[in-house]
Amino acid sequence: MSRYVIGRIGQAALVLWAAFTVSFILLQALPGDAILIKFLNFELGLGPEQIADIRASYGADSPLLVQYVHTVISFLTGNYGYSIHAGVPVGDLILANLPQTLWLATLGFLLSLVLAITLAALSALSPFSWLRSLIQSIPALFISTPVFWLGILLIQVFSFQLKLIPIINPGPWQALILPVLTLAVPISAPLAQILMRNIDHVLTEPFVAVARAKGASHRWVLWKHVAKNAVLPTLTIAGILFGELLAGAVVTEAVFGLNGLGGLTQRSVNDQDIAVLQAIVVFSAAAFVLINLTVDLLYPVFDPRLRVKQGAVA
Amino acid sequence: MFITRCFRKRAGPAALLGATLLAGTSGWGAVQAAGSDVQQKPVQGGTLTYLEQQAHTNLYPPAGGFYPNGGILNQITDKLTYQNPQTLEIEPWIAESWTVNADATEYTFKIRKGVTFSDGTPLDAAAVAKNYDTFGRGNKDLKLPVSEVINNYDRSEVIDSQTVKFIFKKPSPGFLQGTSVIGSGLVSLKTLALPYEALGDATKIIGSGPFVVASETLGRELTLKVRADYNWGPAKLEHQGRAYLDEIKYIVTPEDSVRIGALVAGQSDVIRQIQAYDEKQVEDEGYLIYAPSTRGVNNSVVFRPDNPLVADVRVRRALLHATNADEIVSTLFSDNYPKATSVIAKTALGYVNLSPKLSYDIEKAKTLLDEAGWKLGANGRRQKDGQTLELSAYESLPQPQNKETLQLVAQQWEKIGVKLNVLTADSGSAVVNNLDPAKAPVSPAMVGRADPDVIKSQYYPTNRNVLLQKGGNSDKVQSFVDERLNALLDQLASEPDRTKRLAVAGEVQNYVVDQAYAIPIFEEPQAFAAAPYVKGVSFEAVGRPSFYNTWLAPRR
Repeated sequence: MSRYVIGRIGQAALVLWAAFTVSFILLQALPGDAILIKFLNFELGLGPEQIADIRASYGADSPLLVQYVHTVISFLTGNYGYSIHAGVPVGDLILANLPQTLWLATLGFLLSLVLAITLAALSALSPFSWLRSLIQSIPALFISTPVFWLGILLIQVFSFQLKLIPIINPGPWQALILPVLTLAVPISAPLAQILMRNIDHVLTEPFVAVARAKGASHRWVLWKHVAKNAVLPTLTIAGILFGELLAGAVVTEAVFGLNGLGGLTQRSVNDQDIAVLQAIVVFSAAAFVLINLTVDLLYPVFDPRLRVKQGAVA
Repeated sequence: MFITRCFRKRAGPAALLGATLLAGTSGWGAVQAAGSDVQQKPVQGGTLTYLEQQAHTNLYPPAGGFYPNGGILNQITDKLTYQNPQTLEIEPWIAESWTVNADATEYTFKIRKGVTFSDGTPLDAAAVAKNYDTFGRGNKDLKLPVSEVINNYDRSEVIDSQTVKFIFKKPSPGFLQGTSVIGSGLVSLKTLALPYEALGDATKIIGSGPFVVASETLGRELTLKVRADYNWGPAKLEHQGRAYLDEIKYIVTPEDSVRIGALVAGQSDVIRQIQAYDEKQVEDEGYLIYAPSTRGVNNSVVFRPDNPLVADVRVRRALLHATNADEIVSTLFSDNYPKATSVIAKTALGYVNLSPKLSYDIEKAKTLLDEAGWKLGANGRRQKDGQTLELSAYESLPQPQNKETLQLVAQQWEKIGVKLNVLTADSGSAVVNNLDPAKAPVSPAMVGRADPDVIKSQYYPTNRNVLLQKGGNSDKVQSFVDERLNALLDQLASEPDRTKRLAVAGEVQNYVVDQAYAIPIFEEPQAFAAAPYVKGVSFEAVGRPSFYNTWLAPRR
């Protein structure tokens, strides 16, 4: 078991390094750079020599390999550099934006789970087939709803018309209600779809027939036998959906004017603020790796068969 | 749909009032008209909620030109002098008085006594000298760049604790006005000792202004608190002493519809950046649009004559006469965006009316192209020596509806057989390609500042260099240099005699239009909207809000 864990951690480190290197190369390959965008655009009318000075002072004109080694060493020592655009250390920027995104992502994910399970349960329990197919088509509607549109619609209705939740100066929890809802709707769709399909699939398995033959009720079968078996593939998808969460956060945070990693990513891409982007890429890769590692380690908990296999190998 | 319905329901007497106040006036005029109910006694206290479209960036004062930065710096820093936004005259502020020598190479300022920065340190001659040494020469160790508004700066001399003298290498007549602009806000020596990278944190910017940064959530929210002991506002203002408001809350709200909706739903008091097409719904609800002019170089389309396609003045003139600015203004904008009648705005210093030279005349345009050898080909396009007259321009995101403007220009040019491709790109590619005359022979351009120096900022090769002359910020330029233009611009920046200087400004405007280097389109305002109970909103000379005089009347 411990060898398995160490192996997984080694893999994770490799993924992180690869993400770092690939993003470094890609970001360097972009036309222009943050210094050019910032200093040439609309603020300070600087001459070419001054811009060259600034570039030299940021070390932006040293050879790529030197910059790469320098960045790797700084990252390893916890120094993420300065944001050229915002004029503050990248570490501060990430710290200022992380909590909001974590709350948004966690609550958004939990709500999407609740939505997905509710939909799946409703569909499995529905007594009529027309109702069932109606419920089963909801995920398709959810996933095709544009996030920005949903966000603006919710703001218009709940904040501006019904005046239930202020969008400007809301309390810490009020601030999360609408964005979490906005984020959860599209994320819940694939979860619900997979859950529904799995439930349908598991219901056709022989052991369900056996349980039924023993006189178990539909509800009992669903809860005791089907749910457990249907949840496993959903877990895999859930790990992958983390990426969606981050992408959804970009739009959600822009619409609701929240500070968060999504909004920060969008601004930094616009301004080619490479130091910030590099830190975000590494951070997201780390989070992704961590979540998938957790999912992998959770499998044996849900599926005894995997536990036995692990034992046999180790 | 929701917005419209919600507005209709609540339109009432307030709408009528707003409509009356705004009828027939525009921009600054509207603010003055609204002054009629300033008869009421100002109320002290309260929090103003201000919705900003973008987060501020680095707050090093010379970077204050960026509007989100200027909106903050204008409340927390004072300047040596105050430019009266109506008369554009320079009036005393932190400097009680000043003298300038005959050739504008030496400026001596007498500093007001008893002024302190919010960290308690004195704002005296030494502090002013240090500020200007930094803004005028930059600081390489701290990576602080030179200010755009200070030309030919040499050094400062502290004569006594309240007197400071600035010495210039060459005449610098624009300097006095330069001491009044947003980029010349005075900050504490503690702030000036910080490296450039640390100045994006607003709490580090220590000024002497009527408000002080109390707290900030990076990229999201900023709170300013009033300075109760503030007693050194511009000397000629009626209001003296502390500001009326207790607190200003800046909240970054990028989405247009959310800012407008929040204003109308009573969740905020003032918002920045409202597009012309949204003005009506806000006014219908009784809310006020403020559209102060930026008094600088008009929103224009400029040419890069280094590109052979637009090297011939006849081609440029043809395109100038093929551009229908009236149609652009009436289709895309509102009365707050007056049609341009020169290179700079009507309200700018040194303006001359060049309307006759800017006429829309499609027949003249066609004749000019024929003369230049560009004949209509079979495909409806102008051709010469097997080449087609096809140009490209990158849209500029900060300018209002720039893409739509360029697309309308493209439609107008289509009528004389010229193709204009309007391109959109990420900021990096846009900046790089826009420096290449081959890739961007046409470009949108504008810059605001209430001094004729602004024309130099815009066109001089080592400044913004919008025409892309050789020797400037682009290494892609083959050969284009206009010595005559540059000589005029040099003269503009260094002519000490005011009358002669304004004459040069007129000459430059004529020259730019005669050469058809630029097609001026409209005078660009900064558009804000405010709730009717927000009184005394004012703007500095180029449209950055000042909340020193602002107070909140009881809401009805």
